[in-house]
Amino acid sequence: MKANITNPLVDEDLRKKTKYLFALVFVLLGILALRLFTMQIIHGAFYEELSRNNRIRIVSTPPPRGKIMDRNGVVLADNRPAFNVMVLPEDISSPSDTATRLSPLLDKPAAEIEKAILKGKGKPYDPLVVARDITFEQVAKVEMEIFNLPGVSIETIPEREYLFGDLSCHVLGFIGEVSKRRLEQDEEGIYAPGDMVGKAGIELVREDTLRGVKGKRVFEVDALGRRVRVLDERDAVEGRDVMLTLDQGLQTIALQALGQRAGAVVAMRPDTGEILAMESTPGFDPALFAGILTTEQWKGIMDDPMHPLENRAMRGAYPPGSVFKIVVALAGFHAGVLDPDAAVYCPGRFYLGRVSYGCWKPEGHGNVALVEAITKSCDVYFYTLGRTLGIDAMADMGFRLGLGRRTGIILKDESPGLMPTRKWKRERFKQPWHPGEHVIAAIGQGYTLVTPLQVAKAMSAVVNGGRVYTPRIIATEKSVLERDLNIPQRQIEIIKEGLKGVVEDPHGTAHSIWDRGISMGGKTGTAQVARGIVSKRPDESDIPFRLRDHAWFFGFSPVEKPEIVVVALLEHGGHGGAVCGPIVRDVIKGYYLLKETPREPLRQDH
Amino acid sequence: MSRYAKITENLDWGILLTVVFLICIGLLCVFSSTSGTGSGIFIRQLLWICIGTMFMVVAFAVDYRNLMYSAWPLYAAVVIALVLVFVIGREISGARRWIGLGPLRMQPSELAKVFVIIWVAYWAEKKKHILVHGMRELVFPAAVIMVPVALILLQPDLGTAGIVSFIAATMFLMLGIRRSTLLTLGGTSIAGLPFLWFSLKDYQRLRILTFLDPSRDPLGSGYHAIQSKIAVGSGGLIGKGFLHGTQTQLRFLPEHHTDFIFSVVAEEWGFLGSGLLLFLYLMLITKIITVGLKAKDRFGALLCFGIAAYFTLHVFINISMAIGIFPVVGVPLPFVSYGGSFMLINLVCVGIVLNVAWRRFIF
Repeated sequence: MKANITNPLVDEDLRKKTKYLFALVFVLLGILALRLFTMQIIHGAFYEELSRNNRIRIVSTPPPRGKIMDRNGVVLADNRPAFNVMVLPEDISSPSDTATRLSPLLDKPAAEIEKAILKGKGKPYDPLVVARDITFEQVAKVEMEIFNLPGVSIETIPEREYLFGDLSCHVLGFIGEVSKRRLEQDEEGIYAPGDMVGKAGIELVREDTLRGVKGKRVFEVDALGRRVRVLDERDAVEGRDVMLTLDQGLQTIALQALGQRAGAVVAMRPDTGEILAMESTPGFDPALFAGILTTEQWKGIMDDPMHPLENRAMRGAYPPGSVFKIVVALAGFHAGVLDPDAAVYCPGRFYLGRVSYGCWKPEGHGNVALVEAITKSCDVYFYTLGRTLGIDAMADMGFRLGLGRRTGIILKDESPGLMPTRKWKRERFKQPWHPGEHVIAAIGQGYTLVTPLQVAKAMSAVVNGGRVYTPRIIATEKSVLERDLNIPQRQIEIIKEGLKGVVEDPHGTAHSIWDRGISMGGKTGTAQVARGIVSKRPDESDIPFRLRDHAWFFGFSPVEKPEIVVVALLEHGGHGGAVCGPIVRDVIKGYYLLKETPREPLRQDH
Repeated sequence: MSRYAKITENLDWGILLTVVFLICIGLLCVFSSTSGTGSGIFIRQLLWICIGTMFMVVAFAVDYRNLMYSAWPLYAAVVIALVLVFVIGREISGARRWIGLGPLRMQPSELAKVFVIIWVAYWAEKKKHILVHGMRELVFPAAVIMVPVALILLQPDLGTAGIVSFIAATMFLMLGIRRSTLLTLGGTSIAGLPFLWFSLKDYQRLRILTFLDPSRDPLGSGYHAIQSKIAVGSGGLIGKGFLHGTQTQLRFLPEHHTDFIFSVVAEEWGFLGSGLLLFLYLMLITKIITVGLKAKDRFGALLCFGIAAYFTLHVFINISMAIGIFPVVGVPLPFVSYGGSFMLINLVCVGIVLNVAWRRFIF
């Protein structure tokens, strides 16, 4: 081994200079060593004193969440003060003594309180909650005794309050303790363990608006851990309010109309896409989640066969049934194969090769043209049209109207539904489309699945002349026009005439709900759950509940210039006109009633 | 003698052992400062050390002279990454510094430090006929270095921009700069300071002001400085013991597993611990300079000097900040602070130094 000197002159020079580099390192690290020596050795005692007396505690105060209000300023979600009894384990000399003193004040067994205090043994500096949400009288009692209770304090925190119980629960959502995952992703340090955050609904999607800014209180504490004085205080900043397009009155009517049954109602303004009502039953009490949910309560909700957490209005996907006939008619117009005046003869059955498909009315409708076919919901008419069009033409119109894909509403966990095409079936099942499937698809059976919200969006577009709006639930946001199908006025008129007949014509499938005072049109739908089961009774009470058909009804009013579109769905409800029709009619009636009733502006200005 | 035996024989074990020692101290402190929080930070740090070690082996194995050919491409990559920060970067508390790569995040300005070292070393090797740099010889390399520095300043990340410039300046000083040029440049920099002050963002100015007077904002940026000083000072001679630092365990001091990790060492292990840490850094850095001294070419020597300057600066700024003789800037402590990409870069630097040390025996 020998030294390799490529350029001795340069290298010598460079090497000579390394002494400066060594010097720099020694000087810099020397400064640090000197400073550390003075701090730790010479002034060590001084800093230790400071550290022992460093009895500064920083407590962050949760900000009140913004309110959620309906379109008229009626507050749906608010905050109320809740009082918690806190202990700082470090400052408790005898847990059993403190527990015995607290027990009569809180009407809680001393053993239970002692157990809660002992939980904090490992972390003596973290305040612990020993009693949550105590009454005002209890607060007064504890405050009277507070000087005999070192380490005990009462904390006031804003608790979420949902003023109408389970009304609008699916839209409002709920809050809960922040998850570990969310904490890890929290780069800006907004959340601390135990903070409450929006978990579902508006609470989730508008978390940033509603949250507010945490306050900070800096206390100096004495040797016993009692807070001696507040050194600094930054008030929490309340979250901003969110105003929804919902109408609390209409929500109440919708919920009442649904009653105990599992189903959903969506009411929408066809000219803007604003959602006036969106209810899904059964619901839940969102306040449950804000408090401490017991395991039984949680299991009860999760294991409920009725899935109360699910917002059926946008999460539930069902075959559309005869409501889909409107889409088929529009597809027929669009393809230029539909002459509204040409009659089709309905003998009660439709033959396709050797297979036959029955009309819901076995004795047949005779000769029917489009208007009558809609009014009477003649299956044979639409079987014929469906076979001519084929699935792809029908699906294309479905897609244009927003069926079979997410509507784009800001709420999370929307179901896309399903709008089948030949391509879809080839990819999904590796099978061609069978001729019979065109036929049943035309009456909304088969693979097609839609959500009530999709139907509201699509039917709003139909009755407003083809303008497809994204359903919107935040009042302060602008309406989004997704596309304009520019359906000719004449075609809309014809379809509306048929829809009007459904309610007003004595032969209409929903004539029973007709209310002379209201101009209204609509369409019934009955979605088969199990094929081949024919009921002998109108309410299908002879069929097991879970095999009964889903019932649909979509209605709009007034017929001339629609202001409201309402869609109702009942799971296993039976015939659409009979069970869902009244719900839609009640909501529309309620809409006019609320419109005429002058309401006090409830908007609260601070 | 087999090639394998040669590797172990000529490897600079001193550097390697010092680094292992430093990493162990770091792990203890990360564990202590995050214990009881239930976060996976300790495990993640372990994981990053493993990944970093693999990169270190690669940086050691491939002849360092290959880096010369990649000086320009690496430089270009860093500049592109720094530009990308503005396009797709994530804004965290008012500054754009990070790029997300799937689940990972990268801070291109960290990489810039190392790539500027490589580029300057490459330039020195290429222009080895220049003995003393005058103004004319410095214009081009200064312009090349100013591009990433300016981009980092725009983020804005004053600390990193300063470090990059300082490393490059040290390397050129080592190469030799004409006395008159040195005086002119020094004078201009001092005259430029007032302009720099006015180009600072409000929070940066606040940090410097609170450094001068920490009681100015005891709950804001002054809070760190005060609490950190109390933590360090109260450590005394032997410290409060592992996991028993009251300042850090009681969370008076935030960010104690990243930028303020030194206060954990000082509080829990006292002057013995902090002195040992300083001694280890001194060992490491002087050994790196010694490797540079013995390197067989200018490129290797300058790489080592640059890396030595890089470690020195980080150690000095980070510890100064913790003991209150420097404003609070986000500079981590090499091998000790929590932070994946920083650990990785540190280990790659060690790999390069070992590479230079080992290859002086190979022709």
